[in-house]
Amino acid sequence: MTALLKIDNVSQTFVRNDKSSVEALRSIDLSINEGEFVSIVGASGSGKSTLLRIIDGLLAPSSGSVFVDGTKVDRPGPDRAMVFQQDSLLPWKTVIENVGYGLTLAGRPKAEVQAIAQRFIDMTGLRGFESHYPHQLSGGMRQRVNVARALAVDPKILLLDEPFAALDAQTREIMQTELLSIWQKSRKTVLLITHQIDEAVFLSDRVIVFSARPGCVKTEVAIDLPRPRDLDLKRHPAFIEQVDHIWKLIEAEVRAGVKQGA
Amino acid sequence: MRKVYDFLEQDTRAAAVTRILVSTGFVLILWQLLAMFVTNRLLLVPPAEVASALWKEFQQGSMAENAWATVTAVVTSFLVSIAIGIGIGLALASSRFLSLTGGPVLSALNSVPIIALAPLFIAWLGLGFASKFVLVLLVAVFPVVVTTEAGLRATDKPLIEAARSFNATPLQIFSTVTFPYALPFIVSGIRVAWARALVGIVVAEFFGSFAGFGFAIMSASQTFDTARVLGYVIVLGAMGLIGSVLFAALERYLAPWRLE
Ligand SMILES: Nc1ncnc2c1ncn2[C@@H]1O[C@H](COP(=O)(O)OP(=O)(O)OP(=O)(O)O)[C@@H](O)[C@H]1O
Ligand SMILES: [Mg+2]
Repeated sequence: MTALLKIDNVSQTFVRNDKSSVEALRSIDLSINEGEFVSIVGASGSGKSTLLRIIDGLLAPSSGSVFVDGTKVDRPGPDRAMVFQQDSLLPWKTVIENVGYGLTLAGRPKAEVQAIAQRFIDMTGLRGFESHYPHQLSGGMRQRVNVARALAVDPKILLLDEPFAALDAQTREIMQTELLSIWQKSRKTVLLITHQIDEAVFLSDRVIVFSARPGCVKTEVAIDLPRPRDLDLKRHPAFIEQVDHIWKLIEAEVRAGVKQGA
Repeated sequence: MRKVYDFLEQDTRAAAVTRILVSTGFVLILWQLLAMFVTNRLLLVPPAEVASALWKEFQQGSMAENAWATVTAVVTSFLVSIAIGIGIGLALASSRFLSLTGGPVLSALNSVPIIALAPLFIAWLGLGFASKFVLVLLVAVFPVVVTTEAGLRATDKPLIEAARSFNATPLQIFSTVTFPYALPFIVSGIRVAWARALVGIVVAEFFGSFAGFGFAIMSASQTFDTARVLGYVIVLGAMGLIGSVLFAALERYLAPWRLE
């Protein structure tokens, strides 16, 4: 297998207005293969969102580079799409317009945008809500629109920044299985950030553990649980053991972070 | 009583009309009562007499003449204020340099009571349309400038970042994110501008014109015709109210998500 996404010695230091600086990421090296599902877990403030913004091309790293298919990333591109941590749907556009937003920006014909958007609306279980506005949807449905919007541009790499964080436990589990089935059908390469260790283990081929400030790769854990996976897996001893193992790896970091008031 | 409150709180046209009718009726009753105690007709005239004075103005055609003069002047210069206000607001929001250097000048101008300069404008521009136009423009433009700039700057960062993530060009970011986001802010500025424009036009007409509501109020008060003064004030109040209701409705229409 070839590495589709290569992160080469990426560091990021933010300089604030008052000249103080924050080292968010230090020397990150990662490669992710085509079709792989990789998760990043780590304490709050460990630079996970920052890394995703760098990969997406929204932020130029202080040093180091990111390569997609061997090409250096210097701006956002159609080969990557991001689902943001914060709500970022356009409130004045309907569900179908939001899902088709990326395609519309790319100048694709209206009929084509409609057809593609409809396909992803169906895939994410939003049929019947095409002409609703985001404020008329539940949090879980808004998150589906976010995912559908990213999938609609047919990226090679899907970047997901805590997409289910705002959801209740039940909805989150349902969204996890839906994400798994979408991934299985489309064989996209997925990089997911999450605080939920069980979510990372359940979904991923590999879990990258970040250490807190400055963020760097502490270890990575291969998850060799069989696929296809369903929710029953979460009660399996092998699963629980994996979750426990990763939790112990980051426990110290999280405690330190809480003390620092992160 | 409970039911009455529930009805009045509704966001329907019927409820809105009822609210306006109730408050108007309340004011009319108070006014009538007051006029029964204050019997000096130079100071206060009861509603019925004001209505008949207004009716007379209609019949004589002076209402139409004054309305034409005021409405044409206020509407043209109101529309021009909106265009210029949005233009300046856009410029300020898109250039850090402009907003840092031009901002203080604008807020200084905004705190000057421009209305007080009305006699000067009339001396410069003469009696008639030009002086009215400029005075109204100067009082009405600021709220539009301020809300346009604020609205454009207030746009949620995540929305802009999402657009960038989908490869949007700066122009696309403006047309699909920042401008739609700012639009309801701009409309609220326009609502304030309309109220200010009405004050501006009346003051301009007080000092220098031969027609218009301000002129009519001035000449009626010089002949101690209190009924006519109040009649025209009520007409102006109605214009203000209609504008305010329309723009508030437009704001709600443009940003339904803000209600929830
Ligand atoms: N634009 C910025 N300017 C200055 N500092 C920033 C900026 N973005 C992030 N930071 C800082 O970088 C650090 C990492 O932030 P980041 O959002 O990447 O963390 P995170 O791991 O995603 O946290 P969370 O799990 O809470 O989302 C934080 O200390 C944050 O304050
Ligand atoms: Mg984050």
